[in-house]
Amino acid sequence: MLNDLLVAFQAVATMENFLIMAAGIWGGVIIGAIPGMTGTMAVTLALPFTFYMQPIPSILLLVALYKGSTYGGSVSAILIKTPGTASAACTTLDGYPLAQQGKAGKALNMALYSSCTGDFISNLSLIFIAAPLALLALRIGPPEYFMLMIFALTTVAGVSGRSLLLGLVSACLGLLLATVGEDMYGSFRFDLTVDMQSGLAVAPVLIGLFAIPELLKIIVFRNNQSHKPMQLGDNRVTRDELRRSLKAMLKGSMIGVVMGAIPGIGPSAAAFSSYGEAQRSSKNRENFGKGELEGIAASESANNGCCGSTMIPLLALGVPGDVITGVMLGAFMIHGMTPGPMLFENNLHEVYMLFIGMLFSSVLLFGAGKATMRFFSHISRIPPGLMAPIVLALCVFGIFSISNSMYDVIVLLAMGVFGFFMFLFAIPAAPFLIAFILGPMLEENLRRALALSRGDPSILVSSPITWLFACLAIFVVVVTIRQQLKKTQV
Amino acid sequence: MGITRGLVITALFGVVLFLLIPAYVPRPRFIPGFAPPPDMWPRTVSMLGMALGMLLVGLSFSRKTEALADPEDASTLRGGTPLATLLTRFAWTVLAFALFIGAVSLLGFLLSSILLLMAMLVLTGYWRHKIVATIVAIVLPLLLYLFFSSALNTRFPVGSLFRAFGI
Repeated sequence: MLNDLLVAFQAVATMENFLIMAAGIWGGVIIGAIPGMTGTMAVTLALPFTFYMQPIPSILLLVALYKGSTYGGSVSAILIKTPGTASAACTTLDGYPLAQQGKAGKALNMALYSSCTGDFISNLSLIFIAAPLALLALRIGPPEYFMLMIFALTTVAGVSGRSLLLGLVSACLGLLLATVGEDMYGSFRFDLTVDMQSGLAVAPVLIGLFAIPELLKIIVFRNNQSHKPMQLGDNRVTRDELRRSLKAMLKGSMIGVVMGAIPGIGPSAAAFSSYGEAQRSSKNRENFGKGELEGIAASESANNGCCGSTMIPLLALGVPGDVITGVMLGAFMIHGMTPGPMLFENNLHEVYMLFIGMLFSSVLLFGAGKATMRFFSHISRIPPGLMAPIVLALCVFGIFSISNSMYDVIVLLAMGVFGFFMFLFAIPAAPFLIAFILGPMLEENLRRALALSRGDPSILVSSPITWLFACLAIFVVVVTIRQQLKKTQV
Repeated sequence: MGITRGLVITALFGVVLFLLIPAYVPRPRFIPGFAPPPDMWPRTVSMLGMALGMLLVGLSFSRKTEALADPEDASTLRGGTPLATLLTRFAWTVLAFALFIGAVSLLGFLLSSILLLMAMLVLTGYWRHKIVATIVAIVLPLLLYLFFSSALNTRFPVGSLFRAFGI
């Protein structure tokens, strides 16, 4: 393994790859710093451009954008009390009070140190966990895969919104939309027009679902204020402050790693859990919420701690745990690589290149964050009313360029309107997208399993692994329902 | 909200199950081996979706279980703005999208995009900064057009109007 990693190191360490990763990190930080623009949007907007790139640089670009935007979310959280991404919401609690005290620079520096620490630890966990997990996954067949995907979908549906039922409805809508086009035996389904025979491409569906509804929200609800940023002020984090926050940082990184590896949990939950734990175990717990650096360290290390580990289920099992890894799954497939256990058999060199590239990107995140800190206070001032139409233009041009077809642009806009209706009905979008991406694999494994058993559905619960995933899915459903019922009684 | 949403979801999956699948998912005469037919999976998902929709309606009647079906009040999204205003804004946006799609074959991709961007800037309320908005609406599509057509060789539609003038 060490030899393979060294070979991959040589392949990744090129100026071209560094420039791509630096651009991704920088772009991600900028997008993450703009309120209303999320990491998901950054990754989805970049997807059309990756069609023209080599496989590994394109994945590294998406990973860099993800990491950059996760850190970038903390910038507007600290400077204007508006988290650029949902996972930075916790950073607002202590970041903004510090900015009000004239210590915005200190808060931003602590966010950067913690993000890089969490990110690095997360990457190491990916390197050491993904391969053994993939080896284990090689032993499972279609029924086990089907049940694994059902478990992943149930988890995502349970934690994405405030209602499990609406999450499941969203997943059903995604599964249904994934059936448009040609099936595994060559039959055409829902081919209302000739274009629809080729099905719906991943890029227009997911960009339409995540970027366009934001524009519609701004237009319809006119939530269009611009913000006045704070000055950076006191800039340095002292050695003593760093030593005091180290425990929260390391603990937060581990929480991020564990929660990122479980499908559907994601960085927001990790940040809040880590913050709660840091507050519980800190000597300065009464200072939390009033401008405590430990609070920033806990939340930022946890949300960036998810970045690498969220790739574990994707690379090892082929199951994306959240929307961003869902987009990355699409990118892998575009370049002819299928994440899952076979990836480690067929594309081991590429996997190691990805690992090394991810480690490099942690270092680049630090450099980009340091170099552009002063510039950040201006980025977060761009009003959403200007930003949203710019994003629309990027989406329309990017999507058209993928296949030179207006059909994809129509799908993009239609999905945007559909996504807006989903928002109005409080139906979460994440289960829809994961189901849309997993749908063909889910159906293929089910049909294969049924063909193997001559139509007997009991094959789906015939092995200990299928039972394990079935029990886990039921457990998730029961726990989610209990929690939601408890909330109503409070 | 919960009842309406449940009914809409049930109706949506119902339309797929009873109208779209029979019409647009044909069963082949011969299916190899014991492979399930192509309509098996869409039917299963639609039936599950309908069941979930009906469950949402049912749960909305009981105050105790309402949270499972209706997590938030729609009025919080709306604020104090009248519904008619929101619907008008939404209708204008959808109309702008539809006009853009229609205009591409006539005016070409570049000009249609400039017009779409202008419409969006008007609708978001940013058009009051006329100079910045005009520059963004014209320069951004132009830059994107040049980038995609020269760097990535994308062939954007020119539009029949421009073609008639020989451009």
